[in-house]
Amino acid sequence: MKTDYLYFIYPIVSLIIVVLLTPPSRKLANIIGLVDKPNFRKSHFTPIPVIGGAIVFISCFITVLLNVDILLNFDKINLLAIGGGVILLMGILDDRYNLPALFKLIVQLALSYYVYVSGVKIESLFGIFGINELPEVIKMILTILVITGSINAFNLTDGIDGLAAGLAIIGLSAFTIISVLLKEVFLTLLFVSIIGGLIGFLKFNLGKKNKVFLGDAGSLFLGYILVVSGLILINKSISTNNIAVTLSTVIGVMILPVIDSVRVYTGRIFKGNSPFRADKTHLHHLLINLKLKHGKASIIIVVIAILLLLLSILTGTFFSHTTAIILLLVLFTVFSNILALNNNINEWTQKNKALENRDYKD
Amino acid sequence: MAFIDIKKTKLAIIGSVGVPASYGGFETLAEHLIDNLSSEYDITVYCSGKKYKKEYRRKTYKNAKLKYIPLEANGIQSIFYDMLSIFHSLFYADVLLILGVPGAVLLPFVRLFTKKKIIISIDGIEWKRDKWNLIAKWYLFWVEGLAVKYSHIDISDNESIQDYTALRYGSLSRVVEYGADHTIKIEPSELNYIDYPFLKCKYAFKVCRIEPENNVHEVLKAFADLPEYNLVIVGNWNNSDYGLDFKDKFKDYPNIYLIDPIYDQRKLDVLRGNAHVYVHGHSAGGTNPSLVEAMYLGLPIIAFSVSYNRVTTENKAWYFKNKVELKNIIESSTPEELSSIGDKMQEIAKRRYNWKLIANKYKQLINESLKTKKKLNVYPRTKDIPKDILGKMNLSHLKHQHTFVKK
Repeated sequence: MKTDYLYFIYPIVSLIIVVLLTPPSRKLANIIGLVDKPNFRKSHFTPIPVIGGAIVFISCFITVLLNVDILLNFDKINLLAIGGGVILLMGILDDRYNLPALFKLIVQLALSYYVYVSGVKIESLFGIFGINELPEVIKMILTILVITGSINAFNLTDGIDGLAAGLAIIGLSAFTIISVLLKEVFLTLLFVSIIGGLIGFLKFNLGKKNKVFLGDAGSLFLGYILVVSGLILINKSISTNNIAVTLSTVIGVMILPVIDSVRVYTGRIFKGNSPFRADKTHLHHLLINLKLKHGKASIIIVVIAILLLLLSILTGTFFSHTTAIILLLVLFTVFSNILALNNNINEWTQKNKALENRDYKD
Repeated sequence: MAFIDIKKTKLAIIGSVGVPASYGGFETLAEHLIDNLSSEYDITVYCSGKKYKKEYRRKTYKNAKLKYIPLEANGIQSIFYDMLSIFHSLFYADVLLILGVPGAVLLPFVRLFTKKKIIISIDGIEWKRDKWNLIAKWYLFWVEGLAVKYSHIDISDNESIQDYTALRYGSLSRVVEYGADHTIKIEPSELNYIDYPFLKCKYAFKVCRIEPENNVHEVLKAFADLPEYNLVIVGNWNNSDYGLDFKDKFKDYPNIYLIDPIYDQRKLDVLRGNAHVYVHGHSAGGTNPSLVEAMYLGLPIIAFSVSYNRVTTENKAWYFKNKVELKNIIESSTPEELSSIGDKMQEIAKRRYNWKLIANKYKQLINESLKTKKKLNVYPRTKDIPKDILGKMNLSHLKHQHTFVKK
């Protein structure tokens, strides 16, 4: 099958569908109440439709239908399509009705287990921290933990305009290159369709007119696609020469959201709060506190993500994955600590203002 | 006659530019600590080799040993100036009295490897000041935490700063202010009248660094609208665009006198001592030496409205937030009010801001530091008793005590 030209046609088709579909879907979203209402934690002032994720999913679906081959080989992508559909649906319900956190967690754990049962799992640590072979039970626990953790980590990056989509575009672009290397035509087509859809989405998300959000639906869906695709790619390259580069690419793509959410959770626990109590300590909050606009903060984080990715690939292929992970951890920790310090300064400047202006006491 | 040789406690004073003092608050403090405490302690003062040229250096000054560090005591070099001083003092001192926080990065190591006692004066809230760039702010913010955490006793020079350290660190900071009784009122000589003809009239006086945080702009704008009141501001006008700009803008106002820095203390004392009213625009943290000195001279004070200034003047002076308020105060003030406020200020200064008292407080802290092992904090001791035990004793309310900072 001559498919090379499709790699360019698919994203364009997907992009066009998103652009055509978004304005009417916004109206529908407004009618059924699928909107993000402003509150004290939000920085927008009118309800914004949270329909981006669904539109990207639908546009990919339509695009993929264009090719009969894919339908005939649906088993190659069914894990991504079905699982993605399930988590998207849960996300939409959550966006509309605010599902309980425990319920969402159970769905994600179940979905992760389904992925494990389907044979996509963490087979080995590939020598990271000196560990290779794993007992089956550990494989299962690790797989479920990594998938659920990554989905949530990615979900939490969706705090400012363009960030989650930007990170997903970078990650999927890297995965596209890997899947081309591995000659995985259908995965490649799926990745480029999502990338095209996301670019279309960004036009609305970053613009003023017809603004839409990704919503929990979109960010959960993208998190799921990224982590499961990563695992699929690793498993496909286990017996090839590409394993080193695949592994370091997947690590490089997932590391920023994962470390950041671990940092935020531990920070909250350290303060004596519940790790799930919302606050404003994520990387994007810290950047916004430097008085950066949303778009600019997103660009900076995306650039950081690209640098971490390149660094991971270089160190992972030329030295070792352990070195890469430790290096990325150290870099990110230093960087985020400086930002957190800055955040602290802003907080204490405010408190000091209040102290300075309070009434004199005898 | 045979004396029993009791070994004196060795005290190192670190972080000032040096003595003999000709600079700011810390230096004057160091000088008066030598005057008052050198009979009891064996004092060493670290001085900046950049500020004291070779020919003026000496081994001792009034019973204190001097050590010269070849760095500036202010700005970025102060980090290394303080660190070198701290390191040097480890070889002999018993107590380190550190004025200012920049060198505090060393303190965790000092605490870990030595038994030296550390008393640190954290000065104002330095990281907050606009004159520092972002990286300096990061550093100062971080190092202030180390200073409080790894000292045996930390000192705030103002009650309002004490509130801040209590809130941020839970530390019970001790308030020790500055003295002012070295200030003298001098009658102008004939020559002074020629140099400064405004001495014959009534004038408001202000001396400060020409920086936005000292609210020079508000003061100037207020007096620009008050042609019948004279204003004299002494400061480094030529140091920044901010200063040069004003010098140019206000040169045509006959009632506003902008004077370049005066290094002759006598001349400055003449101008300040004979002022009709003192305008204090400082907004940065802490007790400002220039304010307590003006109070000691019995000048009526109009101070910028921040908690530090209110605490220093016990809320008995006039306070302004902007030029409108300043204008109102000046226009509505009566001679009786002026002299009554001046008297109150002098009373406060004589009671609180004299060096004997201040030096005595330092003495107490030094003696305390030699005995204490644990740092004092603001939390009540009931904090560590579990809730259910307190409950059994019907004392659950002790879990919800408010400390002084919540007032």
